[in-house]
Amino acid sequence: MKQSTGPCVVQGGSDTRLRVICALAAVLAFSLGSFAASAPSVQFDTSHIGPRQMEEITGRNIPRDWGRAWQTMAVALDHNRPDLLGRYFTGFAQQKLKAAIAAQQRSGLRTRYIDHGHKLAAYFYSPDGSAIELHDNADLEIQVLDGNDLVHSERVTLHYIGLMTPAADHWEVRLLQSVPSF
Amino acid sequence: MQRLLPAACLAFCWMAALSLAAQDLQVPATVRAGSAFTIPTSGSGSATFYLIGPASRTKRQVQMGQEIQVKPQEVRSAGRYLAIVRSGGTNRSVSFYVLAAAPASLSFLAHPSRIPVAQRGGIIGVTFVFDKWHNLVRQPENVDFRLAVNGGPPASQTVRSRDGVAWLRMNSGSKAGNAKFVATLRGIEETRVIQQVAADPCHLQIKAERNAKGVLVETAPVRDCSGNPVSDGTVVTFTANGAGGLSTVDVPIKKDIAQAELKIPGPATISVASGVVMGNEVKVGGQQ
Repeated sequence: MKQSTGPCVVQGGSDTRLRVICALAAVLAFSLGSFAASAPSVQFDTSHIGPRQMEEITGRNIPRDWGRAWQTMAVALDHNRPDLLGRYFTGFAQQKLKAAIAAQQRSGLRTRYIDHGHKLAAYFYSPDGSAIELHDNADLEIQVLDGNDLVHSERVTLHYIGLMTPAADHWEVRLLQSVPSF
Repeated sequence: MQRLLPAACLAFCWMAALSLAAQDLQVPATVRAGSAFTIPTSGSGSATFYLIGPASRTKRQVQMGQEIQVKPQEVRSAGRYLAIVRSGGTNRSVSFYVLAAAPASLSFLAHPSRIPVAQRGGIIGVTFVFDKWHNLVRQPENVDFRLAVNGGPPASQTVRSRDGVAWLRMNSGSKAGNAKFVATLRGIEETRVIQQVAADPCHLQIKAERNAKGVLVETAPVRDCSGNPVSDGTVVTFTANGAGGLSTVDVPIKKDIAQAELKIPGPATISVASGVVMGNEVKVGGQQ
């Protein structure tokens, strides 16, 4: 699922100020986009979900927020920016990623995730709708950098178990744990 | 011959480097979270060891030919790890998985916090099983759920966790009061309190008595079908059908009883209801 900025359409030719604002917004969006990796594609399968059936809007929001979480995690680990994790990670997931970034900062390391997409499946959706457990097959290119030296590079498909809980207007990753298999 | 010698040396060195690179690092097949282990190495000289884990990054100098000691605190988080040894421009790496340790905590979600008694499947309990490093324990475990109100018969059920989650639906008990909803696993216990309140009134009974002002109607103590007193404030509706037509009065229950004074001069039939529950009818005569 690609994140996209909305079109900025100005009808008529009289409102110059609006055009300037749109132009500035477009420049800002472009510069932010060039810093942050785009959200990865996420295919979402709800055919084996239980015990609660997934609402249509939740079925759209879960893959959207899962993709955005991975996007922010990739930027945070690449640039050692723990402050980026606050929106899409919470609880132990956030604590662990912050610990990883703190360790990277101490040792001069960085980890770069080049995300080639996710096959996400809903596994358990709690009857009261307060938690969802997910199984993700993530196609990733992982690079480990010591300073600017590439220490390791690999392309792998990894299996992740995720636990998401709802926040005010989006879903947050509460647990992200890679596993050998499902 | 003089030309061949450097080429042969180069080839030998190249083969040696390839052979070194081909030597995989050996790690245990299974590593439990928070467990120390060693990685044997061969060769000589110093090297840089990297350990990349879900919540940790390690970089330190090691001596080739000696075992690399991986400390318990370096492998506390379950998940995939990368061990990399960098020596003389050659990188050797191996990936392995750290599995969760024994269960140490339960994350217990109970829903709802307030429920009428005797609701089939009305209470939901969901537990996620974690080890002491907050890793999800995927190995199946038996989680015991118990629901009890003081003085009431407890209900219990055992559920086997799958992929770290165990959940169930339970009926609410027959006795009103604060119910303890407990999830237990290997001595780990988590308790939530669910307030069980009386359900809808059952067998509404009224009596009516004419006095100087009108007709005094009063319910018998209002109880649900399990015998629990219905909460104060629950509305009871009295309806009088007389010569003057229908008149209706809504009255809240106070101390188990609802009562009202109906100003009806003539004979009437008075009925009672609360929610969808109907009670008896009584007939009263006109004023003398």
